[in-house]
Amino acid sequence: MHPREGWTEDRRGLVTRRGFLKQTAGAGLLLGSAGSLLEACGGASSGTSGVLTSNGIPLPRPNHPVTWPIYKDNPAIKSGLPPEQNATLRIFNWVAYLNPQCMTDFGKKYNCKVELTTFQNMDDALAKLRSGQLNFDIFFPTIDVMGELVYGKLIQPLNHSYLPNIAQAWPDFTDPFYDGKWHYTVPYTIYTTGIAWRKDHVPENPYAMANPWAMPWQAKYKHRVAILDDARESISLGLMKNGIFDLNTTDPTQISAAGKVLHDLAKLTDVHVDNNDYTEIPSGQTWIHHAWSGDIATAASYMPKGVNVDVVGYWFPPDGKGPVGNDLITVLRDAPNPVLAHMFQNYMLDINNVLTNISFNGYMQPINGITPQRLVKEQLLPPSLMSTTVLPSYFRRGVMELQIPTATNALWEQAWLQAKSA
Amino acid sequence: MTVPSGVSASRRPPRQQRQPRRLIWVALAAPGIIWLAVLFIVPFYAIFAIAAGRLDVFGTPVAVWNPLDWTATNFAAAWHDVAGAGAFVGPIILRTLIYVALASALCLLIAYPAAYFVARFAGRWKGLILILLIAPFWISYMMRMLAWIDLLQTDGYVNKVLSFLHLSSQPIDWLGGLGLTVVLGLVYGYIPYLILVLYAGLDRIDPILIEAGRDLGLNRVRTFIRVTLPLSRQAVLTGLLITVLPMLGDYFTNQLLSGTTGTTMLGNVIDDQLTSAGGVLEGQGAVFSLLFLLVLVPPLIYYVVSTNRSSRRAM
Repeated sequence: MHPREGWTEDRRGLVTRRGFLKQTAGAGLLLGSAGSLLEACGGASSGTSGVLTSNGIPLPRPNHPVTWPIYKDNPAIKSGLPPEQNATLRIFNWVAYLNPQCMTDFGKKYNCKVELTTFQNMDDALAKLRSGQLNFDIFFPTIDVMGELVYGKLIQPLNHSYLPNIAQAWPDFTDPFYDGKWHYTVPYTIYTTGIAWRKDHVPENPYAMANPWAMPWQAKYKHRVAILDDARESISLGLMKNGIFDLNTTDPTQISAAGKVLHDLAKLTDVHVDNNDYTEIPSGQTWIHHAWSGDIATAASYMPKGVNVDVVGYWFPPDGKGPVGNDLITVLRDAPNPVLAHMFQNYMLDINNVLTNISFNGYMQPINGITPQRLVKEQLLPPSLMSTTVLPSYFRRGVMELQIPTATNALWEQAWLQAKSA
Repeated sequence: MTVPSGVSASRRPPRQQRQPRRLIWVALAAPGIIWLAVLFIVPFYAIFAIAAGRLDVFGTPVAVWNPLDWTATNFAAAWHDVAGAGAFVGPIILRTLIYVALASALCLLIAYPAAYFVARFAGRWKGLILILLIAPFWISYMMRMLAWIDLLQTDGYVNKVLSFLHLSSQPIDWLGGLGLTVVLGLVYGYIPYLILVLYAGLDRIDPILIEAGRDLGLNRVRTFIRVTLPLSRQAVLTGLLITVLPMLGDYFTNQLLSGTTGTTMLGNVIDDQLTSAGGVLEGQGAVFSLLFLLVLVPPLIYYVVSTNRSSRRAM
């Protein structure tokens, strides 16, 4: 799941109904992907070291990193190629997740046009990519679909000679556990999930609480509490409230118990379930909101007149032991402009362009020099919300919501559905 | 009464002439009927193919088109949600029915007088008033609901007006999870449909019949009850069908105007199932969508029977 899931061009945070026919069309084409999967399992040029698997696809974990295979029929582009001329670089990304200024500047620098097409959730994006009808160059996936992208041969391996700016990224991302030796990905945004609250309405300070994850469970804030409309994030909240920090648990008892405490929360506070943390906390519509760091980082833009942004707080465990997520930039296998696509990846790893991007979407990127102090100095972040920034140690110590086996995913989704229907 | 054979022969064309004319009408109607039939049958079959389908290696639901390969897994899971040990859908179905019943009753109470006024008394303003009544259609449903969010904020105009009129001492948290807000949202969203249908029905009532009622000694109220209301029954039924069906499946109104667990409707459950990560619950969502169809069959049958009966009566 993702902070930008369900966003539309019209208005942020609105969920839309997916069509059945679109799914069935994609499903039919999945047969082709399954064929590739079987081929991959039998004929990969290098193996993987992941232990957990789901239907034969390894599931990367920090303690069981995965290096994805590179196929002979899906090689990286050759080194030293010139960028495509008079080309149109086509980007496939989440809504409101990339600063248009970055696209304009890149187009000027490399004498090309840049077009953006958006998607609202990863399932829809993958269905479109599987159809093979779209010729995008760049795709912004989440970590949990790496197996599907590689085994389905939807993305191409990277030629690192085009990506010198990787030196600007945190060292962790030159060999991340989800893509050993960064064969296929460069990092994009990184974010945490924590608790946002209005200090002027809620006197409790989560930093002084024994279990801050339990902060939403307060009957006195009935109708003023909200949790994210996201099965993985909210069941994870329930797990952490119960003291469990394995956010990829396959234990039905733990999942059920997490669903139960969320059910209790619904009864206790008639909890709001939405992803409008970025507006509801600034406007005061809700006072405690389970929230994404990047959303709260933009709170200053949504404050009502006369209300200082200092009244907004964001808590994430100071020791970094909380949910951390990061997104990726990949080059699609059938990219018409693979050289330009590599150059765009490289462009988005440069600190100046990263700062431009953060000024638009609020989400920081794991680039050396992007520190809380720098963001405050650049006036991209109010000092009171420095806790929304992600530190390199969080990536190592944090807990990630990663791909889980299909049957377990169904358990998580069912528990969430029941909790929401309290 | 008998009709002179000569009159009949002069008015009705011979059988040989009638046959081609009928064929022309059949040919003209065929594309539309086929179009509608295909647009009903294909999506219905697609939904059923997912409801009776399976998950692929990536955990994505796959539509199974061959009935011989269908499974009952999703049906069993849906039944478990309704009546099994972990059942949770029952209260939501009940809540949905209550909300829709209240919203429909309110719609009728508001729409009938409005449509009656336009049909009977608007005179030369009829066109303008009709345009104003259907003006909300020009703006998308989503945008209209978004406008209400601004109006219903605690510091929004609704609360300001209530405060100005001394009807409320403190701001009402309309968006804080009130069932009333959801019901009013449904009324606002769907009432134009009802007004239009009612207007069409009321406008067709021959004024002579109403005058006849008055001539026979009925006062205004009794004329309305004995003449106008029975004659508009079909329009009421049609209008309610048109508004109740989308209300039952509505998920957007609740999502925007409340968004709390305490006002969840069945449409929200289906929406959550359809948008579950990886689509793992999509099959169950398909089953509930089919259940909707089953629920709607009895009123549709009643509507068809009732329409046929009144047609026969008119002949």
